[in-house]
Amino acid sequence: MTRTIAVAWKAIRHSPMTLVGAFMLLLSIFVAVFAPVIAPYDPEAVVRVTINDIYVAPNADHIFGTDDAGKDVFSNFVYGARISLTVGFFASFIAVFIGGTLGILAGFMGGRVENIIMRFTDIMLVIPDLPLAVVLVALTKPSLINIILVIGLLGWTGTARLVRSQTLAVKQRKYVLRARAIGAGDLHIIRKHILPIVMPLMVANTVLVISLAILNESTLAFIGLGDPTALSWGQMLNFAFNRGAMSAGAWWAMLIPGLGIVWVVLACTLFGHGLEQILNPRIEVHHLSADKQLSDYKKSKPLVTSSVVLKSDDSPSSDILLEVRNLSINYINTEHKSQKPALAVSDVSFTLHKGETLGLVGESGCGKTTLMLSLMRLLPPAGRIIDGQIMFQGTDILSLSEQNLNGLRWKDISMIFQGAMNAMNPVKSVGDQIAEAILLHTTIRDPKELDNRIRELLDLVGIAANRKDDYPHQYSGGMRQRAMIAMALACSPQIIIADEPTTALDVMIQAQILDLLMSLKERLGLSIIFVTHDLGVIAELCDSVIVMYGGMTAEYASVDKIYNAPQHPYTRELLRAFPDISHLSQRLVAIPGYPPRLDALPAGCRFAPRCPAVIDRCHTDIPLLHQTDGDQFASCHLMETQ
Amino acid sequence: MQRWQYLVRRLLWAIFTILFVLILNFFIFRILPGDPARGGIRDPRLTVEAQDAIRVRFGLDKPVINCFETLNPIKFGSCAVNPFDTQLFIYISNLAQGELGFSYHSNRPVAEVLIERLWNTLLLIGVGQVLAIVFGMILGIVAAWKSRTAIDYTALIFSLLAWSLPTFWLGIILLFWGSRELGLPVGGKSTPGLNGTSFELLVDVIKHMLLPTITYTVVVLGQYMLIMRSTLLDVLSQDYILTAKAKGLSNIQILRHHALQNAMLPMVTIIALNLGFTVAGAIQIEAVFSWPGLGGAIFESVGRRDYPVLQGAFLLLAVSVIFANLIADLTYTMLDPRVEVG
Repeated sequence: MTRTIAVAWKAIRHSPMTLVGAFMLLLSIFVAVFAPVIAPYDPEAVVRVTINDIYVAPNADHIFGTDDAGKDVFSNFVYGARISLTVGFFASFIAVFIGGTLGILAGFMGGRVENIIMRFTDIMLVIPDLPLAVVLVALTKPSLINIILVIGLLGWTGTARLVRSQTLAVKQRKYVLRARAIGAGDLHIIRKHILPIVMPLMVANTVLVISLAILNESTLAFIGLGDPTALSWGQMLNFAFNRGAMSAGAWWAMLIPGLGIVWVVLACTLFGHGLEQILNPRIEVHHLSADKQLSDYKKSKPLVTSSVVLKSDDSPSSDILLEVRNLSINYINTEHKSQKPALAVSDVSFTLHKGETLGLVGESGCGKTTLMLSLMRLLPPAGRIIDGQIMFQGTDILSLSEQNLNGLRWKDISMIFQGAMNAMNPVKSVGDQIAEAILLHTTIRDPKELDNRIRELLDLVGIAANRKDDYPHQYSGGMRQRAMIAMALACSPQIIIADEPTTALDVMIQAQILDLLMSLKERLGLSIIFVTHDLGVIAELCDSVIVMYGGMTAEYASVDKIYNAPQHPYTRELLRAFPDISHLSQRLVAIPGYPPRLDALPAGCRFAPRCPAVIDRCHTDIPLLHQTDGDQFASCHLMETQ
Repeated sequence: MQRWQYLVRRLLWAIFTILFVLILNFFIFRILPGDPARGGIRDPRLTVEAQDAIRVRFGLDKPVINCFETLNPIKFGSCAVNPFDTQLFIYISNLAQGELGFSYHSNRPVAEVLIERLWNTLLLIGVGQVLAIVFGMILGIVAAWKSRTAIDYTALIFSLLAWSLPTFWLGIILLFWGSRELGLPVGGKSTPGLNGTSFELLVDVIKHMLLPTITYTVVVLGQYMLIMRSTLLDVLSQDYILTAKAKGLSNIQILRHHALQNAMLPMVTIIALNLGFTVAGAIQIEAVFSWPGLGGAIFESVGRRDYPVLQGAFLLLAVSVIFANLIADLTYTMLDPRVEVG
């Protein structure tokens, strides 16, 4: 029990919303419990009342004045908390019990049971609550018990839906399936596996249902269906409103009880929603939040800056499309600003020539996608470019205004995202989404011309032109990726960034998409940056390769050198872990260990913990990029000693 | 599944729900304690003969349903063999002809009483809903757009507060303040006996509508804001928004052409679902402002224990909400191309 409380406290501590709500709720419970101590007058006491005692304005004796019966409003208010909270709590327990039971039954049993329960819930959901409650209470005797029952019996629909969907989700989890496979009974699974997960959500839901129940009770009481002997806040308002407080100008008799209701309902709302957010944190990226990618630019020093001069200088500069120099990117913690940022990309440099295909290879989480997104300044809200330069044909992308940047995006550099299912707007036809890019960046305005261009593009990627008015969900996975490629080609860009364009596809389709990219590259003379973790693709498609590890360049060289004379131990290990058709007899060797977490990098070389050739220095000093050969670079201390 | 199949299914479902409500509505008034006949005619001076005559007049002498003695609380008349001579059948066949029985209180046909009040409620709810939707969505969009800024937090606190206000209480406070400080009318739909040009009459109605409409708008607006904000935040985190940004669209263009349409989809459903709850709001507001609408009719009928009117009003409200949901479903189908798959 104490453990549960400790865990709960740890979760709640950082949520101001939950804390404020919990405090407000506890305070109202405190008032209700200690009503006899807090209230200056006993509402039950029989006192002789004269006309002069009715609706007395707030004064020293009655801080909130008196009501229509000459009673102290403050005392009534304090005792009213008892009744309002009692109704709220009991009614919501009934509602959550019914809703929870039905929800678990529906979610767990599935099939016909689920169908019947959910259909019934649907019906109850559309029948307006209050009129039904009014009718029910009006037909029975308006006693407190009846009111609790009616509110409870009508308030379970939301809980049932919530619990059902949660149960469905838990039921599919591996350990539940496993428990079932070894023969655990239904009751056991519900008790041991489903309840522990669903319970906390139900607690959060109960708090929200309490607020609804209290609102409902006060409404019923106000329209004259309350228990006239139980002076809840709603009943106080009913008496005040119907017994002349309005014409007597007795604002206190109407204001105070209402404030009590607002206080408790607000408390429950804050507390309940806060708990829900803790239990179901939502990952929010907000792509349109204020652009802060450059807010730390050149303000903080990057951890690593090498002085190596890259090969760019020995090539004719007109040939260079894109040049990235010493780029460093951090992810800050937007919730807790004081925490150390994660170093996603450190000191990466490369050049891209016209017609060149550059491969970017590395394990998941090594900063590949971050690097690519930064080229168009598309980092998520937490991303900060802290140092470096991105030069596109002589313009510094990092110093462009938002407007000029929008002119460059897609027109000069476009992107094929991984997972085209989510990268396309589900409610716009594929043709419209391609047309949008064309209209934005080219001079084509004539509808006929536009239509022809879209057909031409779809034809180019092998999609029948008559599918242009279809929506993304009507396409197969491979087709969607083709459509994405057509969209990327729409404005004839100079550079296309392909960020793992084949990850979610099956092998046959992967090969088709890669073939398509290769042929397009040759026909259109495209420059492509190809992000992948598949070395085979690199060998087939690329001219040069960057091998990234832990946000740094491990090795950067032509594709020949990478395959035939790898220098960095990581590159070698990577190649050993990759099947080679020409040496089938060789055994595949996995690299032991995992890539480092970007917020907890080792002090020295980031590969040191997994490196087979590690020396002492690797654990203390960060290796800089060294030129090992004319156009081959590697960041390894071993290169230096050679 | 074809789109029209989906539509037919929704339509059949709506009809089924309405049937359910009809039956529920019929039995609630007969199963629960508190005999409708005795409840409505509780006057000790009436002779037994007179009471029976009234029962005959309201059709309460017939068995509830054929040969189901336990459901026949009155035990008057015989268990008829003829299944068409029962209260249930008469109730349904009357309904089919638009007859909802007679008010115990005024002796007028319930349908007639309710129809004239329905228009007043529609006026109030209609204007209030439109205002709440417009302002709630604007507020939600701004809050999501400026997420985690002072603007966002202010809008959030305002909406949570608006959501927590008991409707009738906000009405009382506004009425107290408006009638004292601003000289606004204390209730009703128009000043009785006012003669003047049609413009003056219009101004008079607007003055009467002002406070109830504000009350309704504020109470409903909070929810719309919260839902719009959270849906839009969801949408703005989607990959296709990043694609749109990469395409070089400005933030405003992305919002207008990509985000809003997607965020509107859940809003349509939620607005319709909410109608059921906002009916509750209408009852409270009409009670506070003596607005001559359906809610007011319910409020008065509760006091008078006028069951036929209550029954009719409940039926009318439930059916309206079911229809609103059906319309929302159809709208959703038109807005979301994905519907036809499931």
